[in-house]
Amino acid sequence: MIILECLTDAGLAAVAAVGFAAISRPTKRIAVMAGLLAAFGHMSRFLLLQAHVGIASASLWAGLIISFCSMPIARKCHTPAEMFVFPALLPMIPGMFAYKAILATLQFLNTAGTPEGQKVLASFVYNGLTAFFIMCALAIGAILPLLLFHREAPLGRALQRFGGSNNTPL
Amino acid sequence: MPQAVVAEHAAGLPVLTAKELIEFIQLFSSTLLGAGGQTTRVDRTACRIARAYDFEVELAIFPKHLMLSVIKPAAGGIPAERRTAVSSIVSGAPNFQRVAALNALSWAIADEKLSLEEARQRFNAICAVPTLNPVLLRFLVSCANAAFCGLFNGDITAMGLVFCATLLGFYLRQKLLHWGLDIKVTFFLCAFAASLLASLGIILHLGATPQTAMAASVLFLIPGIPLINAMLDILDGHVLMGVSRLIQASTLIICIALGLATTMLLMGVDSL
Repeated sequence: MIILECLTDAGLAAVAAVGFAAISRPTKRIAVMAGLLAAFGHMSRFLLLQAHVGIASASLWAGLIISFCSMPIARKCHTPAEMFVFPALLPMIPGMFAYKAILATLQFLNTAGTPEGQKVLASFVYNGLTAFFIMCALAIGAILPLLLFHREAPLGRALQRFGGSNNTPL
Repeated sequence: MPQAVVAEHAAGLPVLTAKELIEFIQLFSSTLLGAGGQTTRVDRTACRIARAYDFEVELAIFPKHLMLSVIKPAAGGIPAERRTAVSSIVSGAPNFQRVAALNALSWAIADEKLSLEEARQRFNAICAVPTLNPVLLRFLVSCANAAFCGLFNGDITAMGLVFCATLLGFYLRQKLLHWGLDIKVTFFLCAFAASLLASLGIILHLGATPQTAMAASVLFLIPGIPLINAMLDILDGHVLMGVSRLIQASTLIICIALGLATTMLLMGVDSL
């Protein structure tokens, strides 16, 4: 059952990633690869959420996975890795948390001073902070592998020596 | 005229001056920024191009303008030539194809030693690539948003509602932006229209999760790429650029929330 849910999640994430990326006019190769990466990343986040990991940590992990997997693809396609990572991250952008926080602010203006107001304020803080932390987690997850394994970084140089002449610039 | 330049003239070789190069790099950088390139990438790309022609470049990037100096280094520390230009950044929609192609062009300039004329031709060709067919785009975005609704545990009815709402909202967005309406007003109107259509689910009690349908119906408007770019810019140390991109994206999200709030007010929906 969990496998079926997992695959549904991956499929939906892939469709969402490709569709949202289409607004930013990707090439066909970018769209296909981003769809695959999104499916993989979102599935891992789904599994982590099922295992009661916090949503920000799960997003960090998903971002890391997507970014790691994008590097060999980028090298092979001679395209910057961000071009695959950005669309793949799109289904995980905390858009709903962000506007729920703003809706809560609007409601708070009408309910200030009542017990209802406290609930709305808590909802604002929760949604706003969640949106912020997910956004940070995604960005850190996306950039960390690129920084660590960049051509000029120590780890990247070691990897290149290890991998031979595989030094296509990114 | 310096000795070397005279010699090159005598040999019939075209001499590249900083004046010509700065025009190209200025256009290149502002296009790359407008297409949603990260600030660090723009900086690196500009340096790469300048170095291919034996020049140096210094770049200062502001939210709406960029300043750059192109320097011809010379022995002794005093540059042989220096030109500075300020240009405004044409803000446009993120365009992956353009960023990828411009990046490839910069490497081609560095590796294949393209002449400036050839580089300019290739640049124009990259900028002339047309956008995706609007009808296809509308369909893709609608599918994506319906799938997104599925990710938030919406049932099949909710997904159908979201599909229709997105189709309407995105059509409106394309038309209004085409007519040149302000982007914030456009986002407000699109969010209002999309959520109004999706709110039919709540009023007519369609399916088991009409609330999810309404909440997900406006998500196609969220400016995801600018948000990621903003966070990456801040992490890279381009804090000014990052914060300005973050504020621009947040403004749009506030417009979306206001559109949704208007629907909730009209339809008497208390919470999502």
